[in-house]
Amino acid sequence: MSTDNTLWARPALAAQVLAPRRDGRSDVLLRVPALADARRTVMLQSTLEALPGVTRVRVEVTARRLHITFDAARIGLPDLLDACHASACPAQPLRRELLDDPLHHQANDALKRLAVAGLFTMQAMMFALVLYLGVIDRVDASTRQLFRWLEMLAATPVIGYAAIPFFRHALRDLRARRAGIDVPIAIAVLLIYLASAWNTLAGHGAIWFDSATMLIFVLLTGRYLELRARRRHHDLDAASTDNLPLLATRRDAAGTWETVAALELEPGDRLRVSEGSVVPADGILACAQARLDTSHHDGESRVRHVDQGQPVESGSLVLDAPIELTVTRAGSATSATRRRQLAEEAARQRARTDGAADAGVGRFIAGVLGLAAATAAFWLWHDPARAFDTVIAVLVVACPCAFALATPATLTRAMSVLARRGVMLTRPQALAALADVDHALVDKTGTLTRPQLDAAATLTHNNIEPRQALAWAAALAHGSSHPVAQAVLRANAATPATASDIQVSAGGGISGRLDGRALRLGRAGFACPGHADDDALWLADAHGPLARFALVESLRPGARSAMQALQQAGIHVAIASGDSAPRVAAIAAQLDIADHHARQSPDAKFERVRAAQAAGHRVLVVGDGSNDAAALAAADVSASLAGATDLARHHADLLLGDDLSQLTLARALARRAVRTMRHNRRWGLTWNAIAIPLAACGLVPPWLAALGMSASSLIVVLNALRLEAPDAPPAAGPHHDQPARWQERTA
Amino acid sequence: MNAIIILIPVTLALIGFATALFFWAVRHDQFQDLDTPAILPLMDDVPASEENSPQTTEKHA
Repeated sequence: MSTDNTLWARPALAAQVLAPRRDGRSDVLLRVPALADARRTVMLQSTLEALPGVTRVRVEVTARRLHITFDAARIGLPDLLDACHASACPAQPLRRELLDDPLHHQANDALKRLAVAGLFTMQAMMFALVLYLGVIDRVDASTRQLFRWLEMLAATPVIGYAAIPFFRHALRDLRARRAGIDVPIAIAVLLIYLASAWNTLAGHGAIWFDSATMLIFVLLTGRYLELRARRRHHDLDAASTDNLPLLATRRDAAGTWETVAALELEPGDRLRVSEGSVVPADGILACAQARLDTSHHDGESRVRHVDQGQPVESGSLVLDAPIELTVTRAGSATSATRRRQLAEEAARQRARTDGAADAGVGRFIAGVLGLAAATAAFWLWHDPARAFDTVIAVLVVACPCAFALATPATLTRAMSVLARRGVMLTRPQALAALADVDHALVDKTGTLTRPQLDAAATLTHNNIEPRQALAWAAALAHGSSHPVAQAVLRANAATPATASDIQVSAGGGISGRLDGRALRLGRAGFACPGHADDDALWLADAHGPLARFALVESLRPGARSAMQALQQAGIHVAIASGDSAPRVAAIAAQLDIADHHARQSPDAKFERVRAAQAAGHRVLVVGDGSNDAAALAAADVSASLAGATDLARHHADLLLGDDLSQLTLARALARRAVRTMRHNRRWGLTWNAIAIPLAACGLVPPWLAALGMSASSLIVVLNALRLEAPDAPPAAGPHHDQPARWQERTA
Repeated sequence: MNAIIILIPVTLALIGFATALFFWAVRHDQFQDLDTPAILPLMDDVPASEENSPQTTEKHA
């Protein structure tokens, strides 16, 4: 990353990242390295806030961003960046478009409506309780009437404000001529409210404000929880394009190097990218050779060698030495942007089918409304005085509360059960798809496999105990989420000490101080300059190398059991990997998977998903690299893992931890959830089938109808709460895919 | 009975006040970051307050 921050004073560049506010101040978003240490986060925040001209600093830890509001007349952007740099937290400005976060407004809006619904529902309930319990003397009609008015007063904000999203969605669905679940909810709530208001004004007849408000409150709670999960997930989207540098070094006509905005680049430009920087545009390598770290977009942990004339993808990290390249695609045409657009387009298409009509709901509404009309017609002819009460009773009985709650209550419960087992469900609708997938497409590198230290092949210098060397390495790796650092931590049996002054250099390794000694852990070229890189992990101090740890590709825990479970369930499993054919075949053989494909580009994976879907299959995709993102987004249901790239996580429906057997667990729970949902809906329909005819005959007084409606909703919610995760598989299962050779040796 | 006449308006005023307060808090992003405040009391030294301490107090306006 270029440390020359004065460039950002140039108006053309500043215009790309600064968003002027109405009060004359400016907003800027800065991307910072992982803010794992909360203490440092708070220190950084207070350091920045102490600068003159800075109004507010907001740290978004999950999104790795700083949102700074400042007065551009008093402090410049370069000064802010210098201040970050001085706090050992080098920051890079992000494009101003990212400042406008739609989910932020949506979450605030939902929170306000939820609060209003909660506060006023409680009030309405309280007034209703006074009436139900008969606290007020039966003859005291005026006080009763007062409480009915108060109940209406309390219910009005809930219906008139908190319930607006339901009305809006219902209108949208009606206009699109489809029947979403919000249509019956909106109709029921509105009818109950209007009927109750009519009875309040008339001064006699039953009122059901409490039922309507309660329904809104419960539904809003579920939706708010869902929104929060989605938002947290969205924050993880530190995806490839905003990771691309905004600056580039280009050779101008006179042959000198100048720094320009990456957006100004054009095909044919000659670029130089220094070591440790990210390639800003796609191009052809113009110098003899380059060594690149592409783990950010394809999850590949080995170094990629590129020779002159071969393509270099944007988003790759340059190692060792500066490179030169000729731009072939820049700006919004780069492969990094393309990966993201492909994934977003796929996600949009899926969102469309998510909102599609539920055939049952449409028939249900038509039936109820028809029945209500028939009831009204019959009673108007037979006994007009009872017509109104009977029609209301029919509508209240038929209020699709149980029906409306059946799915969300179950999904909310399933989300929390999964969360307790370390699986995050980010798109609840995906659960139903997970229960009946019949095709699975699995990535190899980083998904089925992960790097593992080959303990037997550890070499140490100066008679250092391998165990000791490993403990030192673990002290440095502690707190890093890089797959190799995780491999070190897994291999280390001792309690790791914590090194101080830890600095991570992207694509190189980690340096830090332990017991006063400066240690470096990483690629050979980083740890002990002068040594040639060899795909192994080196530990060194100021005097020279201490140890060399060999890395092998090994199966991830749970990979075998999860793939077996999928295949036993009759699901066709296929491996699609960007890796070479022999390596893919070897892993496929270990897992007994016959269908495997090597050298798959992001588009090829995406097309593979589409083809399977076109053939009528429901597809599950499991992947961890940005090159899987499009396939993940296109799939009926997708899963990603803890070490996945941000773009992959952003497009996954399920975020698993480190263990693939969680996939089996999630599928088992999904099947149970679908069964519970089916029970619930069947219950809702049965209840209606019995109660509606009775109500239509005038046999159910409105108060009994309201009571029955509440009871049926309660039963649905309680039934959903019965949902539990299946017991963990026996301990002899997934965790023994890899015998811990290191521990055996040292025990 | 007279108690109700007084208490009901008080209740309604309280709810109105609570709602307004909550809206204010949401608008000022008080629910944005629920993670860092939890560790603030554990910090023994609040840094960067040496030279500029008078200014830091008015920053959150």
